[in-house]
Amino acid sequence: MKELLNEEKSIYLQICDRIETDILRGVLLEGERVPSTNELARLYTINPATAAKGLGILVDRGILYKKRGLGMFVADGAAEAIRLRRKQEFMEVKLRELLVEASSLGITTGELIAMLTGGDEDV
Amino acid sequence: MSELVCKGITKRYKDKEALRDVNLTLESGKIYGLIGRNGAGKTTLLSILTAQNPATAGTVTLDGEPVWENRHALDQLCFSRELNIAGNSGVAGIKIKEYLKAASLYYPKWDQNLADRLIKAFKIEPKKAMGKVNKGMLSAVTITVALASKAAFTFLDEPVAGLDVIAREFFYKTLVEEYTETGRTFVISTHIIEEAAAVFEEVIILKDGALICMENTEALLERAVRVNGLAADVDAVTAGLACHHSEQIGRSKTVTVLPREGETLPDSRDVTVQPVSLQQLFVALCGEEGMG
Repeated sequence: MKELLNEEKSIYLQICDRIETDILRGVLLEGERVPSTNELARLYTINPATAAKGLGILVDRGILYKKRGLGMFVADGAAEAIRLRRKQEFMEVKLRELLVEASSLGITTGELIAMLTGGDEDV
Repeated sequence: MSELVCKGITKRYKDKEALRDVNLTLESGKIYGLIGRNGAGKTTLLSILTAQNPATAGTVTLDGEPVWENRHALDQLCFSRELNIAGNSGVAGIKIKEYLKAASLYYPKWDQNLADRLIKAFKIEPKKAMGKVNKGMLSAVTITVALASKAAFTFLDEPVAGLDVIAREFFYKTLVEEYTETGRTFVISTHIIEEAAAVFEEVIILKDGALICMENTEALLERAVRVNGLAADVDAVTAGLACHHSEQIGRSKTVTVLPREGETLPDSRDVTVQPVSLQQLFVALCGEEGMG
């Protein structure tokens, strides 16, 4: 779980990403407790308020849920929900960026289709 | 919830105005970062907040009571100064253990176990004279005093100045640990902004004796962006917004934009918009012409 944080993105969003990735990879399992605000703060040397904000977003997304006095836990179906949301984000954000970049470079739809269906073995 | 309130603080030394009408409120249970260039007034502000230096004008109160010559308020404050031992200044001749002993008697909530742990971790040599150790060990001594004081409001002036990168990381880890366990308020000044930014819940920026910014660090960095592109496009996109530190090379222009409340940067495909780090924002706000 511990990888260096960067400056490209708000830290609380990076905390969300890390926890979601850990859930996808099976580092954190559904029904299991996730690190608390204070544990995350110590792990990454960040302000606990920032860690709390990250966890709060995951609660809002239904990825985590609170058990009073016990902490935060991974919700059932969390991995599938993360996959769905990331897929949607891929289509709406990353793919869109790619299309804008392609159009600014004069790459035609035909060329793009050829690249996508060209059977590139490396991908 | 305690609060330390500083109203209209001005400090004049003989030929210089060190602070000009500074107003701020420090709430309990937060870690504040205090940043500013050398001579911006950081140390003066910290010493006035902790009643170690009288203000020329203005007041500092803790929960409504003035802190000046007020033992009850002072018991809750700790200002561990940066120790500059040039030549034969007062503390140069005394041993580190004597200095720490004095601190343990001064601070009513002193935690000797924590002090002993830090002495060991920082490899402080208590038998040595203060004037005979390097800058790193003096920094470690000031950190030990600050953390072990257990004061509700603790002020650290350049605590990491003499420390190597390993010791700096250890300091911030220990600080976060102490903070998560106790919820004490910390105000920390530093020139090494990047490694501390994530620890600061709020950032206070001083420039030439004036408070130019006090805001939640995340919120501030979410507003600030760097815009780059063809000069005319950059000008069009940033028109009317608060722009800082504009740099131009040929037709290319880069500016740092800090939109005010309610302002937003219009969407544009013609320019590149990037997030900025606290250090970059600080340079944009406080950098001098001809030095950037």
